[in-house]
Amino acid sequence: MKFTVIYNNETFNKESDVDLTIKDLLDEMGLSSTTIVSKKNGETAIEESPIEDGDEIQFVQIIFGG
Amino acid sequence: MECTKCGNPDVIIERKASGQALCKDCFIKSIEKKVISTIKKENFIEKGDKVLVALSGGKDSVVTLEILNSYVERHIIELCAVTMDEGIAGYRNEGIEISKAHAERLGVPHKIVSFKDTFGISIDEIMALDEHRGSCTYCGVFRRWIINRVAREFGATKIVTGHNLDDETQAIMMNYLEGNVENLAKIGPKTESKSELFTVKIKPLREVPEHEIALYAEAKGLEVHSTPCPYAQASFRKEVANIMKDLSKEHPTIMYSTLRGFDKIRPAIRAEMSHNYEFDRCERCGEPSSNRLCRACTFLEELGK
Repeated sequence: MKFTVIYNNETFNKESDVDLTIKDLLDEMGLSSTTIVSKKNGETAIEESPIEDGDEIQFVQIIFGG
Repeated sequence: MECTKCGNPDVIIERKASGQALCKDCFIKSIEKKVISTIKKENFIEKGDKVLVALSGGKDSVVTLEILNSYVERHIIELCAVTMDEGIAGYRNEGIEISKAHAERLGVPHKIVSFKDTFGISIDEIMALDEHRGSCTYCGVFRRWIINRVAREFGATKIVTGHNLDDETQAIMMNYLEGNVENLAKIGPKTESKSELFTVKIKPLREVPEHEIALYAEAKGLEVHSTPCPYAQASFRKEVANIMKDLSKEHPTIMYSTLRGFDKIRPAIRAEMSHNYEFDRCERCGEPSSNRLCRACTFLEELGK
């Protein structure tokens, strides 16, 4: 599957052969869910949400310095 | 997973502390209910109050303004707001613009007060000096001086700040670990003083975790300023914040229990540590001070201002 990730004003195109959740992606990027709000296709989403082909995943850094 | 309140399959938060899963609408309602219940429990607001919001444009103050506006809509209180311009290039302007936009949207009278106009020096100018006490020390003291003065100019009866659950538990742990019982005794939902020149400060978000405030702002589509201050530095508070966040992963109720436990022993600490400070006026600015000069004027004299 192919999906897009937006973080820190940058957009990345990603591909994966295995099923992923938002939490898997946060872990892969070394980000903490305690300092980030995750959005899937423009709507806030929980970490357990599965990522599907064509999704746009956005990580909004909302807490700094942690 | 479904919303435990209404069954909506579009869940935006799973609260590990309570086991609740909530959809957007139920989450928004739950935050508003929580804040309103804190306001009621702590007797923060009385009908006819004029409440001054310390509005930085960040998530905490914007959410505070948003929720308190429901009291204005119900004709219980009046709101006013103040935004400080500390004079930090490339950082503060966005927060000021966002604050202005929210105040205008809600029809809230709003003042923007700069350190440069008030004290003759900005934080950038202080930080360019060879000797200084660190940006956060000046910022905190100067801000409190301005907020207190603006509260009187507006005729405000309460000052509201956006301190959240994370802020409160960090302050409790920091002061406890440092053995700073004097400061520990000052922590609480309400800050009152014997001097009539100080306006009562209240913290309606103190039982809401920081992450949920951010999620509320996102869920409601509220624009917030979320750029970190360029002078933010490694601090003991940050170390404590990280410890509390790490602990919360396996012990999701730890911040709530820290606050609850502290609130139970607070009256005893206060009784033990109570002082009868005699407030006089600062010789330089006339603000209340227990010393010849208030902290702001002490710093300004050091800075040659």
